[in-house]
Amino acid sequence: MTTQELEQLLAQQPIALLHRLARGRVQRHFRAGKRRLIEILLRHSAENRAGFESDLMILIGERPARPIPPAPQAPAVRKPKPAAPQHRTTHRPVEPDSHEPAITLSSWLDGLGVPPPKAFVPDAWQEDAIAKLREGDVVVSVPTGSGKTYVAVEAARRAIAENRTVIYTSPLKALSNTKYTEFSKIFGADQVGILTGDRRDNGQAPLLIMTTEILRNLLYDAGGGEIDIRLDTLGLVILDESQYIADPERGVVWEETIIFCPGQARMLLLSASIGNPHDIAEWLTSIRPTPCHLVRHSTRTVPLRAGYLHPNGKLMPLFRTIGIPHGHPSHLHPETKRLFAQYEDETLPTGRRR
Amino acid sequence: MPPSIHPVDLILALRDKHLTPAIVFLTSRRACDEAMQAFDHSQILLPPIRQQAIADVLEKVIAQYPSIAEHPLIPTVQRIGVAAHHAGHLPSWKIAVEELMRHGCLDAVFATTTLAAGVDFPARTVIITQSSIRKSRDFTDLTIGEVQQIAGRAGRRGKDLVGFAIVTPSPYIDLNVLTKGFTGHPEAINSQFLISYPMVLNLLKAHPLDQIQPILAKSFAQFQLNQRAEVLERKLDGLREQMEPFGPRVCTDWITEWQTFDQVRRQKSHRAPARKHEPPEITARFHFLTPGRVVGIGRSRGVVLRQYRSKGQKSPMITALRQGGGITESPASTVTEVSDRVLDCVDAPVYPWCTPESVEELLRHLEELPGRLPELPILIPKDDEPIPDAIVQTLGDFACPTCPSRSACQRDYPHASKLRQEQQRHLKSIQALRTSLWHRFQEKIDVLQEFGYLTPTAHLTADGEWARLIRIDHSLLITELIRADAFNGADPAMLAAVMSSIAHDDDRPGAFPRVSSGLGSLLGQVRKLALSLSPHEDPPLLRADIAAVTERWIGDPSLTWIGLCKSTTMAEGDIYRLLARTLEFLSQLHTLKGTHPGLADTASRAIANLRRGVLEELP
Ligand SMILES: Nc1ncnc2c1ncn2[C@@H]1O[C@H](COP(=O)(O)OP(=O)(O)OP(=O)(O)O)[C@@H](O)[C@H]1O
Ligand SMILES: [Mg+2]
Repeated sequence: MTTQELEQLLAQQPIALLHRLARGRVQRHFRAGKRRLIEILLRHSAENRAGFESDLMILIGERPARPIPPAPQAPAVRKPKPAAPQHRTTHRPVEPDSHEPAITLSSWLDGLGVPPPKAFVPDAWQEDAIAKLREGDVVVSVPTGSGKTYVAVEAARRAIAENRTVIYTSPLKALSNTKYTEFSKIFGADQVGILTGDRRDNGQAPLLIMTTEILRNLLYDAGGGEIDIRLDTLGLVILDESQYIADPERGVVWEETIIFCPGQARMLLLSASIGNPHDIAEWLTSIRPTPCHLVRHSTRTVPLRAGYLHPNGKLMPLFRTIGIPHGHPSHLHPETKRLFAQYEDETLPTGRRR
Repeated sequence: MPPSIHPVDLILALRDKHLTPAIVFLTSRRACDEAMQAFDHSQILLPPIRQQAIADVLEKVIAQYPSIAEHPLIPTVQRIGVAAHHAGHLPSWKIAVEELMRHGCLDAVFATTTLAAGVDFPARTVIITQSSIRKSRDFTDLTIGEVQQIAGRAGRRGKDLVGFAIVTPSPYIDLNVLTKGFTGHPEAINSQFLISYPMVLNLLKAHPLDQIQPILAKSFAQFQLNQRAEVLERKLDGLREQMEPFGPRVCTDWITEWQTFDQVRRQKSHRAPARKHEPPEITARFHFLTPGRVVGIGRSRGVVLRQYRSKGQKSPMITALRQGGGITESPASTVTEVSDRVLDCVDAPVYPWCTPESVEELLRHLEELPGRLPELPILIPKDDEPIPDAIVQTLGDFACPTCPSRSACQRDYPHASKLRQEQQRHLKSIQALRTSLWHRFQEKIDVLQEFGYLTPTAHLTADGEWARLIRIDHSLLITELIRADAFNGADPAMLAAVMSSIAHDDDRPGAFPRVSSGLGSLLGQVRKLALSLSPHEDPPLLRADIAAVTERWIGDPSLTWIGLCKSTTMAEGDIYRLLARTLEFLSQLHTLKGTHPGLADTASRAIANLRRGVLEELP
């Protein structure tokens, strides 16, 4: 490819693709406009032209096929760069799009509304998690908003009934405060306490709320021989949002807490959906006295639909199907595809608007 | 076409399609605030009953948290039914917005993606305007897990039959990241096991040294390292099979024998003049001396404008803009420090290698940089040692030239040696995977012994006994300050101020009150110590301007929250977080009452002064 050809090819790409290409090559590329970005990319490509071209081709190949924009009817405005569309389709693999016709907006919106009131019935996975806690530790990994708090509350209720202390930890003080209010309403204010670095409200209550760091410190103090709170009666430790174990700075605190959690206490780890919850469960099994049971599912209780809102106010389904096409990121709604392509083309800081 | 939809149009569109309540995730706090301002003169009012419902909920929250009674957003919230929720707000304000949302009073909330996981804050619809988020100063694409957590707030159990996650584009959005996020499986998570000084002290307090390795082996980190080691072990099994035809020949280790022979043969024949090597650390660093990089050159500081190799010697050179405005050409070897900071720099093809505006910008930034910058960790590769001349001379000692197996060895050598290299590489990796945690632990032990927190037999010294109670970031700096009696005579305000400058790790600039001279000189001392500890612990930012905010709050009990907020451009929520973190640090000092009663007492007086007004509202 000559430099000129390369420049042309770059000019034909949407800016998002250029940004992806620039990532790792160009500092602060997101600040540059398209023209400037192409200049910089060309300059950088000089060092390793072959590598650059192959990266570009891969990115172009990855992009979902885009319908050829209708030939510009009004050529007046966009005259200066005539080379554009024809070239583009040649090296793009054809996507095996599904053959069903894409859905309409009204069918996508259909079914929106409020369900009739229903008596609270726990989900099977919630019952399962609570039951399994009798036999050992439990790791729960379910989507956001599924109802993990119910599991925590019921498990705590049982432990308290058996005269055992329960510790509930969250990664954030704000969350601890919310839970303090919530649990106080459920169990009664005298049953719930909260511990922070400098304060201890109702520290003798059977259900104690704190951040994971505070619990880790308690466990260290107990390990060093100073018994701080009554760890000997500890029956259950609940670690909410335990996907924080992967937090670059604070993750280690979750590991320390799990390693040093007294053996007689059960552990209940509540986590958002993660890719490898079985690893966590297997790990717990390998270091804790009782086997750890994994409760997971990935279906959302309230089904989710994805949409696209064009800046001009036009609302469209994002995908060709009503629900989310799991495993098929490229099944975009054709109209949305067209609108988004148009958006990318029009928002580029080209010569027209400076 | 506008680059993104106007907030008022957005709310109208959502109301029209019955898609409220919605959470609108925006890229920055500023975007959230601007979205709220867009409603200032808007007439898309709520019906009076709904306005009343909002007023009722707010009244209850205000009764509990008076600090938000005068919140400037309240009129818009009440008239339009929209609110903003981000880290710049006070926790009590965020609670109020969460409460309003829970009662279904609002049509939309403008929030940043920091909207904490786990807060029960669901809506019918979630609006997504971005595909990347800022993480430690750079933009990173959202992971699948993150996209699903964000989208997952759509659809309330019991209140919605369906939830909607709607993408609306803004510049730089990458639709692929989002569609992958919607349709994919969340990523596996990985352990981030950091070994800190307090961890070492606390473990050694409770367990003898020989029990530490089994404890580390219980970590999730080791669990995952073992998984990787097992994969390599399976590969090793395969390699062992492939190596079978290449067992012992005339000599047992014919591969090494042939390799040395072959190498010596080549070296002798080439006799190339020894190439002048540049030290590997210079080569390694040179890659990072890119335009915009802040570096130390000799005693002063500069920004790299370009890098090149000199014409004759081909030695690595940089052009740098120095403090004061000079532009100099210097060999890369004169760079004494490579910081992790890169300034914005619009480069140009000719001298001064960037645009004139850029030069000015850079100079300004250079002046504003804090005194201490974290250094960029650069890996220096070990060079392969060339074979010493002595061996080259002794070519005659090899048996290979006349050996009967010579042709077989020559033929098999390339394949066999490749297999064996691979084998050795795997063996080394496995070894490293099995022992790396322990080695990292030992490195920390060494430092703690050097500083006298541990005895040579790895028991806690008297200083180690109390130092293990300081379990926060920068613990080494704090315990060393205590040992150096740096806080002797410091009043509560000064102590708290120093703690907050250690605790604060945000480099967002702003305007702040003046620092008292006493605090100024104490911070100078802290900075010096932090610098000297930098081989063992990354120095904190130690911003004096931030310290001044804390000093004022603690030093003047009659100062109101509003008064404090007026003295700086820092956002209310940031001041709150600063003080809350300072409180955490102070409460750790308070635990030293047994060994350092004076310090513990000053800390507890600082805590008492700190905990007032807004900071009293929550535990
Ligand atoms: N079995 C159930 N039937 C109906 N509603 C339920 C059920 N379980 C929980 N809920 C409701 O679902 C909502 C979300 O629950 P919860 O906050 O516990 O979710 P979560 O899994 O903790 O979410 P997050 O990931 O945000 O922490 C709550 O309003 C709760 O009352
Ligand atoms: Mg939750």
